[in-house]
Amino acid sequence: MLKLGVFELTDCGGCALNILFLYDKLFDLLEFYEIKEFHMASSFKEHDHLDVAIVTGTVSSQRDLEVLKHARNYSNYLIALGTCATHGSVQGAVEGKIRDKLEKVYGTRANPMKALDSKPVIEYIAVDFALPGCPYDKMELYQLLIDLAKGIEPVKKDYPVCIECKLNEYECVLVKKGVPCLGPITLGGCNAVCIRSGLGCIGCRGPLPKEANPTSEFEILRELGYDEEYIRKKFKTFARGELRW
Amino acid sequence: MVILEVGEFTRVEGNGKAEIVIENGEVKEVRVKIVEGPRFFELLTLGRYYWDVPDLEARICAICYLAHSFASVLGIEKAFGVEVPEEIQLLRELGLIGEVLESHALHLYLLVAPDLFGYPDAIRMMSKHGKLVKEGLTLKSFGNYIREIVGGREIHGINIKPGGFGRFPTVEELEKIERNCDELLRMAKKAVNIFATQDVFGAVPRYHIATDEYLYGEKLIASDGERFDYLEHIEEKALPYSFAKQSKYKGEIFMVGALSRLMLKADKLTPIAKELFEQHKEKLSQCYVSLNNLAQAIELVYAVERAKEIVSTLLDKGIKGENVPIEPKEGEGIGYVEAPRGVLIHHYKIDEKGNITYSNIITPTALNHALMELSLYEETKKNYGTLDENSLVHKLEETVRAFDPCISCSVHLVRL
Repeated sequence: MLKLGVFELTDCGGCALNILFLYDKLFDLLEFYEIKEFHMASSFKEHDHLDVAIVTGTVSSQRDLEVLKHARNYSNYLIALGTCATHGSVQGAVEGKIRDKLEKVYGTRANPMKALDSKPVIEYIAVDFALPGCPYDKMELYQLLIDLAKGIEPVKKDYPVCIECKLNEYECVLVKKGVPCLGPITLGGCNAVCIRSGLGCIGCRGPLPKEANPTSEFEILRELGYDEEYIRKKFKTFARGELRW
Repeated sequence: MVILEVGEFTRVEGNGKAEIVIENGEVKEVRVKIVEGPRFFELLTLGRYYWDVPDLEARICAICYLAHSFASVLGIEKAFGVEVPEEIQLLRELGLIGEVLESHALHLYLLVAPDLFGYPDAIRMMSKHGKLVKEGLTLKSFGNYIREIVGGREIHGINIKPGGFGRFPTVEELEKIERNCDELLRMAKKAVNIFATQDVFGAVPRYHIATDEYLYGEKLIASDGERFDYLEHIEEKALPYSFAKQSKYKGEIFMVGALSRLMLKADKLTPIAKELFEQHKEKLSQCYVSLNNLAQAIELVYAVERAKEIVSTLLDKGIKGENVPIEPKEGEGIGYVEAPRGVLIHHYKIDEKGNITYSNIITPTALNHALMELSLYEETKKNYGTLDENSLVHKLEETVRAFDPCISCSVHLVRL
């Protein structure tokens, strides 16, 4: 049995929750893994060496940083799970310095709870696997964990959302309806779920790691009449400063 | 002086802990510390085009993403003076029902039931109580199915839009709900029997607050008969030891959530849920926080019955699938929704171009924050010295859990 720990930093809880949403598949995983820590689901906790640590969320406080270091130091494999952990996601996109933000929201520049500007896990430590998605595709996580248990090299996805959109034969919302869709520059793996609803991709799996062309996406959106500030905000919502043009 | 530490809380969503100060054997102070980092959603939404905002707000919480998207959409529609037809209203309500099923089933079966049966988690309960856990997972996955067809996906769907939906559910998808309701109802009724046996603990709130309709509304209502907008009577303050602010209603501690909904709106329940409420009314009326769990179980029954009502109405009338067109204009609006764990408020001001200029979000866990501290205070007072430290800490964790707190949501309750 491999030892598994799930650690949540600052996020919406969805990445940890999505593990429970595996339902029967979760029980299949438990044939290979013993859960040593998973605070959303269990009061059981054993500080021991782990084979696999899953970390979700951004580092947004000193506490998060300590949890992250613990997870890294105690595990063989560390999976940064979900767009918060891999790219910073929405809270990473909030602009400004932490003390200014605290003042605007809490009315004081004091920082007794040691908040930090939200950053993805990968900015602090080396990770073995980074699985983006807000939320990530739960079958992708399942496959990764099974592969690790069986000693198989996991396959990484490297194609844009457009590929899955085409495979589903959805109408292109960008070209046909002029809807802002980040599909061409966003990493696929969600089965083009937003385009299924006739809506544009919001980029929640983060930018395509290679061969993305944000410059031409930017031009297309500008020709459709969207202003630069709007496009800039849209590009950075899930990926902080990663998309440049 | 002794400082008793509880936490970090397990089997709750997000990261929080408690600190209890005891002096000469007397409980002096309780601090519920929300240690989850701040996420500044209100700052994130400022300057954003209204159309994109409900998708961003969904990310506040995964357990109740649909309630957040919906409260956001309601606030935006009010700001623009848009009203949607019955079909869209019913489908949105159906989405919220899916969320109640998913969230309550998760809470009751996977997070609370292990306390009742003496296990650290539901997975370790499987060998002896496998059937029960599986039933909980069935209810939960069905709630998620509804969230998927209405909201776009299980977590963070983007289908709930101002004026309607990206995509309307199909007849076949709705028929699947209708087909499954009887079996789900049987399971939900069983949950009521199980949670009716739970001991009472926690504090008794001075007031209950809910939205005026069962799962969303135009205004808030309170147990003193008030019908109001949140700014009139709810006051928030920031705390030095927590990322969540604390709220009072007319200066007093209050409660939101399943128990509050039942106490304020039992007349709106569906037939079997109402019958079950009457059956347990005496116990529920004691209003200890722990009774929130029994109230949630009754709401599972309500949700299944109401889902069936909604789906048959929609199927009888046929789905038109027409959205209401929206023209952005300057305005202000508040959306009041019942997230599974209680009242959720989204308040926006929007400029003539349709960009957000002001945003305030108050979540149920933040609204319950003061009552959570009071509950821990009373439980410690009752048990300190009688229970050994481990059992006391366990009891306190159980008390926090009864609220079904959603800590991620609570850390950006702000007013700009």
